[in-house]
Amino acid sequence: MRRSRWDALMSRYPSLFALILFVISIVINLILQPNMFAKDTLNSNMRVFLPIILLSVGQAIVILGGGIDISVGGIVSIVNTVLATRVGLDGSPERMWQFIFVSLFAGLLAGAINGFFIAYLRLQPIITTYATSFLYAGFALYILPNPGGGIPASIAALYRDTTPLGLPLAFYIIAIILLIWLYVSSTRFGKYLFAVGGKPDAAYETAVPVTLIQFSTYVVSGFMAALSGIAITMLSGSGNADIGASMTLNSITGVVIGGNSMSGGIGGVAGPVMGAITLNIIQNIISFAHIDTWWETLVKATIIVVALAAPGVINLIRRRRS
Amino acid sequence: MAESLSARNIVKHYGGVVALSDGNLDVNAREVVALIGANGSGKSTMSKVINGVVVLDGGQLLLDGKPMQFSSPQAAKKMGIATVFQELSLIPQMTVAENIWLTREPLNAFGSVDRKTVQARTEELLSLFKGTFKTDLRPDAPVASLPPDEKQIIEILKAISFDPWMIILDEATASLDSRQVERLFELVRQWKGQGKAIVFVSHRMEEIFRIADKFSVLRNGRTVGAGMMKDINEKQLVKLMIEKESVFSYIRGESKADKKQATEVCIEVKDLSTDLLRDISFKAHKGELVGIGGLRGQGQRDLLLSLFGDIHYSGVVKLFDNEVKFKHPRDAMKLGLALVPGDRAKEGLLYIRSILENLMLPSWKQYGTPLKLGKAKQDATQAGASLNLKMAGLGEPVSSLSGGNAQKVVIGKWLMRKPQVLLLDDPTKGVDVGTKAEFYALLTKLCDEGKTILFYSSDDEELVGLCDRVLVIHDGIIRAELSGNTLTREGLIAASLGVSEGYHPDARTGGAE
Repeated sequence: MRRSRWDALMSRYPSLFALILFVISIVINLILQPNMFAKDTLNSNMRVFLPIILLSVGQAIVILGGGIDISVGGIVSIVNTVLATRVGLDGSPERMWQFIFVSLFAGLLAGAINGFFIAYLRLQPIITTYATSFLYAGFALYILPNPGGGIPASIAALYRDTTPLGLPLAFYIIAIILLIWLYVSSTRFGKYLFAVGGKPDAAYETAVPVTLIQFSTYVVSGFMAALSGIAITMLSGSGNADIGASMTLNSITGVVIGGNSMSGGIGGVAGPVMGAITLNIIQNIISFAHIDTWWETLVKATIIVVALAAPGVINLIRRRRS
Repeated sequence: MAESLSARNIVKHYGGVVALSDGNLDVNAREVVALIGANGSGKSTMSKVINGVVVLDGGQLLLDGKPMQFSSPQAAKKMGIATVFQELSLIPQMTVAENIWLTREPLNAFGSVDRKTVQARTEELLSLFKGTFKTDLRPDAPVASLPPDEKQIIEILKAISFDPWMIILDEATASLDSRQVERLFELVRQWKGQGKAIVFVSHRMEEIFRIADKFSVLRNGRTVGAGMMKDINEKQLVKLMIEKESVFSYIRGESKADKKQATEVCIEVKDLSTDLLRDISFKAHKGELVGIGGLRGQGQRDLLLSLFGDIHYSGVVKLFDNEVKFKHPRDAMKLGLALVPGDRAKEGLLYIRSILENLMLPSWKQYGTPLKLGKAKQDATQAGASLNLKMAGLGEPVSSLSGGNAQKVVIGKWLMRKPQVLLLDDPTKGVDVGTKAEFYALLTKLCDEGKTILFYSSDDEELVGLCDRVLVIHDGIIRAELSGNTLTREGLIAASLGVSEGYHPDARTGGAE
């Protein structure tokens, strides 16, 4: 079994590719927008990025465990519509907190439904979450048929304008997530997650609680989707049952750019965080470069294809050379 | 620690197939019990019953005389029963250390895995097999990057890492080389001394006689005999396994004539080099059975793959005096080459597809468009019959076959193309004695028909017994070419270990028991 330097490097640091793309995109963005790192610009960027980052982190956990969750957008929509209709534009902060709690619970429940079908009833992840994505999106539409409602501007401002020590709130949240991941990946749960994503049969024979681990990844994803929904609601301040629809693909793109293996067992969370930021920066670049916005989807899809194909192309070139 | 485990009248069905109808086994501490049987006799199922991977349909398991039920691998583990699986239970993406300690990671006060302890304990375990690894094996090496023998060793270390009282070694020696087997046997003796019980499942008679104290023979799902090793000999044991003794007619010693050298040269290799091989040169004549021997992973596989056009090489290969350079296996196939790969599960078979499809896969082109299915079925039936393939029907999936029969399908699919040159990569690995004997007869027949066969095997005995000549590869070069009088087990082992000047007594450490 021969392994090239590149293979060894990539398997040791799966997020290397993400890091390279991350740096390149920042450099390009900096050229187009020299004040990118100014306090206000940074904050206004990061608060827009955060919902996708949160969603990508949840998606990364599911994909690491060998599954995929395409219902996350629906969960975001549910949370958004619940907050926008139950708190209202003139709701009290107490009511907001109450319904943040309800939202998180809803996220956990939606994730648990996915997990139950996939882990305990052994259904295909992609089919199951495709089906539940309509269930969740439909439920959001039932709560709020037409865009409207919202949360009080004062509470939205809390999310939008909190910059402790001059740094965006998102930085602190990302730091907390990375610290939690650093801890989780060093625990037994972390090892189990990689084992289940890597080779579930072998993990079962080794007495790893495979079903429970698979189940828990969807619960985590549901919870992160709820956090993402809360963030995007505080960002926009209003309700729209359609808000999560476009976010599912973005979360998966973030994970792919982040260097995680789509078949599970390889990667982490730092890569997908960088991947999600990169994806958003690319969107910024597109708008700065005065390219029509309808190019955006095309560019995003191209990035996914390139990121997925890169290892294969590198292998092909190497084979040709030898 | 427990003292004994007994299985009584175990019954296990898989769907309609009866894997075990009356399985019995008694294992006591300080004993090595050999669980013997042809492929498909229920050995693997028996070990899976004991370690809780499958739930039994009837019978009883007694631990120290008390009825027990293992509903999961976890439960069996808690009872101190460890298994070294034949199909590896390692996670390729994870490191050696992570794999060994999975589910039993030492934790620190915060619930994190204590890396230093893991590292130290892994080093300690690895040192048990020190000196038998080709490369320096580190605890943080990803398992995917290891060769098969080292994976198997990690599997063994994983099983013993939780200090079980009973260890089931299910074909654990199949992918180990002779040094590693020696080391394992030393360890088995140590474990015995420590009061552990060992169940040893193997096809290799010689190993069974060297290490086991007791035997238990399974045939068609029933235990047909058990007793002390010292009361039985090889012939009697094989008789128990296969009923009719006649099948065990090794071709050994026959037809090692030099006359084959007189026929035309079929394949000529000059200075063939790859990443693993250096300047390999040899000739193989028409109708010759040329063995390729040596320790595992010395480049034998590379040699077969480069001849088949699957990996890149430098040097000259001539086929009937015409120089060829295959860029792709299909070029090699066109000129009448066939490769029976070493890993039948991965490279040889489509397990969920039917026997017919598997047999026809390389030959569909000959059946026109649309496919002449009637003729294909007829040909496949014929091939199946000539190979004595035991199957429920051509439409059944290959996964319904036992290991030996599955291997017959792999060989059968290439024979259907009527190849001139057969490249065999350890085809008898994990195949039962009965099938092996049939297989040897088949190879001899093919040679008589004028086919040329290059035969790599990890079983020294069969190389010596079967081949006209054996090329021993060590560290990428042909260390020795043995034939006639020099083709002996001692000579082969000596050359395998890199001792080129005949037989060296040091090369057989601990071999005589």
